[in-house]
Amino acid sequence: MTLKKRYLRLAHLLFIALLLIQLLPDHSTKAVYTSYLVKFAIGVEVIVLAASALIKKEESLALLVDIAGFVYVLLAVWSLATAKYNYLNDLLFPAPGKVIHQFVVDKDKILINIKSSLRTTLKGFLLATAVAVPLGLFVGWSARLGSAATYITKFFSSIPPIVYIPYGIALLPTFKSVSVFVIFLATFWPVFAGTMSGVLGVDKKIIDSAKVLNVSKPEMLFKVILPASLQQIFLGCNQGLSVSFILLTSAEMIGAKDGMGYYVKYYSDFGDYTRTITGLLVIGFVVIGVTFLFNKLQKRLLRWKP
Amino acid sequence: MTTNKIEIKDLTVNYIENKKSFNALHDVNFGVGKGEFVSVIGASGCGKSTLLSVLEGLYAPAGGSVQIDGKELHGTGTERGVVFQHYSLFPWMTTRKNIEFGIKQSRHDVKRSERAKIADEFLTKVGLSGFGSKYPSQLSGGMQQRAAIARALAMNTEILLMDEPFSAIDPKNRVLLQELLLKLWEGDGVEERKTVVFVTHDIDEAILLSDKIVVLTAHPGTVNEVVNVPFDRPRRRDDLVKTEEYGKFRNRLLSLLYNDIAERIGGDEVVL
Repeated sequence: MTLKKRYLRLAHLLFIALLLIQLLPDHSTKAVYTSYLVKFAIGVEVIVLAASALIKKEESLALLVDIAGFVYVLLAVWSLATAKYNYLNDLLFPAPGKVIHQFVVDKDKILINIKSSLRTTLKGFLLATAVAVPLGLFVGWSARLGSAATYITKFFSSIPPIVYIPYGIALLPTFKSVSVFVIFLATFWPVFAGTMSGVLGVDKKIIDSAKVLNVSKPEMLFKVILPASLQQIFLGCNQGLSVSFILLTSAEMIGAKDGMGYYVKYYSDFGDYTRTITGLLVIGFVVIGVTFLFNKLQKRLLRWKP
Repeated sequence: MTTNKIEIKDLTVNYIENKKSFNALHDVNFGVGKGEFVSVIGASGCGKSTLLSVLEGLYAPAGGSVQIDGKELHGTGTERGVVFQHYSLFPWMTTRKNIEFGIKQSRHDVKRSERAKIADEFLTKVGLSGFGSKYPSQLSGGMQQRAAIARALAMNTEILLMDEPFSAIDPKNRVLLQELLLKLWEGDGVEERKTVVFVTHDIDEAILLSDKIVVLTAHPGTVNEVVNVPFDRPRRRDDLVKTEEYGKFRNRLLSLLYNDIAERIGGDEVVL
């Protein structure tokens, strides 16, 4: 990459434009915390510049820079519409600096809620995966001869897991356990179905290859069938994970005492829309972060795929 | 009476497809001596691969028997190493791990720590030193078959079953692989040589490699003739194909193969 390609990007101009816009006088009746916005933008720009110097692949750098450019535009429009010209109702639409300031003020509280949300999700998700994968391998392996399992799975996975919530509340002692239970169900069926279809789709040649090596039954299931169906299993896990977050936040808004869904619901009930928007954005970042890590894991485990 | 390593007697195999059973192999009889290299050739559909899957223990015969060292064959077993046309190796294991896995399955005396060493030894033998950490998908088809051969050899089985192992390889690499297999197998010395059953549809491949060629005819698959290959070992392709005897022998095999086909589709109307 040439220096020109590395550093001469539209995003840097947008960054400067964003800073210049902040010099305009404020017209909002509320505090707008412009300095927080400026600090945040400078922080993003520093990261982008550091990455520009370090990243080797042109496409990855272009991607990062484009995302930064989009963020600058968003922040510029947002601050023009709120802090600078006050086009929008400043009770419902807080200025960007105010949201960032709110995040800084609330960061301990937010962290506790993120932890609680992640703990609940992971519990349900991991428990479901730990049960669904071995069971799917076993049933799928038996079902290679043909069985009703596929249809039964189709039936249960077609029930939207959210409708289990009222029944879960009746069954289980705490609201936490209801959340875990619903996430468990939401993850179990897609992972189970994915594992089964993975097993059913394993090439007969691979199975013959394992048979002539005289593998034992556990070896056949966990050393041959499991890796051979891993891609399908991950498909199920991805589906389970994305549904899990939807359910978790829904459940938290219904009756939890902590978690990110609770944070958003609680403060919007008080009309504190700065915190509501802060919460929404944080949830977005958390979900993206988890999905990103999960995709990394998937890539790593499937690195042998052509 | 018999000292054959593998003895196939009156073997009949039925294949079931769409609930209809048809006769894939009928009354197949032949023996494979210890340390003998036997090729099975025949037109496609003659049941040569079915025959091999019976020897592999993947398919049960409807009648007759297969004996190894005088004992009836039941299912798969690690005294037989197998090389398939595709997917002999597990795609999720590196070539070294694939070979280690094979060693683990067949040689219980080998310690865990020694497996990697043996694997690398055999990778070197097939010309793949330095490719131990590669996954099969990172290798060419020819290299994958080299690695599959390395695994079969590293498992140190007395019997080697090879099901058209070079059929999917381009002609130039196929020749190289045939020579590699010949060199490795002949290199073991007459007493130590493995007993090989090699399925192919390539006549030249069969002649170059084998002591004995079993010619199958189709519908139902049965043995047309068992022909001894009259050429001395060690063999070199270049020397072999130049001789007059080679041409004659090859023509004889061709006529065994194609007379059968010609008869079935209408005798002398057929121009080959």
